[in-house]
Amino acid sequence: MRSRNGNNSISFSICSIILFSSLALNAGEYLISYRYVVKDAILYNEALFVAKAMKRCDGIPQTAIELETNSSSDLKKIITENSDEFIDYIHKLGMHVKHSDVTINAQYKSTTILTLKTTCFKVDFNDNFARITPLK
Amino acid sequence: MKRVISSSIFVALITTMFTGCSMFAKESSSKESGVPAPVEINKSTVNGATGNNEISSLTDSSNEPLLTKENKIVITVLGQGVAPVNTVSPAQAYAMAKRAAIADGYRLIAEKVKGVRVEGDDLIKNMMVKRSTIRTTVDTMIKNANVIETTFKDGLCEVEMEIIVFHSQFAQ
Repeated sequence: MRSRNGNNSISFSICSIILFSSLALNAGEYLISYRYVVKDAILYNEALFVAKAMKRCDGIPQTAIELETNSSSDLKKIITENSDEFIDYIHKLGMHVKHSDVTINAQYKSTTILTLKTTCFKVDFNDNFARITPLK
Repeated sequence: MKRVISSSIFVALITTMFTGCSMFAKESSSKESGVPAPVEINKSTVNGATGNNEISSLTDSSNEPLLTKENKIVITVLGQGVAPVNTVSPAQAYAMAKRAAIADGYRLIAEKVKGVRVEGDDLIKNMMVKRSTIRTTVDTMIKNANVIETTFKDGLCEVEMEIIVFHSQFAQ
């Protein structure tokens, strides 16, 4: 049976090892949201927001995606370069669909909004690729 | 002479009777053979309700598949999107039309899975309809929908999308 102080030192050392290893891998947590509006079957507006998380995210890691970095550590740039792949992946994660249409005197108008609500992603930057894992 | 005439009339009656019966019999048999076989509803299409042309599964509720623990339902829809007029290149037009078509596909899936809220308003003044309004809304979350096929022709992009619905996803 170890003392309390002994246990604390062990847990502290484990935490520090995890911290340093994550820093060595250059990992970070980012908040990403995506939204686009389709009006009368025409794409009207599309917005992808990427921001570094200011607080630590909690959640279980989900299915990850790996994107080529080309030696860059700027997530926004990486996503822009692989936008099609990343947006397809976002669709798979789940999109909130909000649709409304109105027919006034037989004239039809419709608006569809697809949204990925702000989600925390853990991003591990390596030499050639970035591993992006959503935390839910 | 009278006997001959009466016998001939009798024979003629008998023959007409027989031929008539046989003719009727032929007609009835031809009618039986000419009646087309009852149209069979394609079970594979009923299994997965499609986006636009699945009227049979909508009208006949007895053929609609039920979501049980044993089976799954495949929902297939066809989303349509149009390229904007002021695009820089055909590639941009394609990308934007495809995005719009995917949104339409998601909306169709949402309509099938969750349902549609419909509101109607008619304004009648002096016994005349002044304004008729129909509003429909869909609000839900869709996950794991797949794009099966994409076609782009004459500025119209069509995206065939599919989602597999399992019982466990709805189990409380």
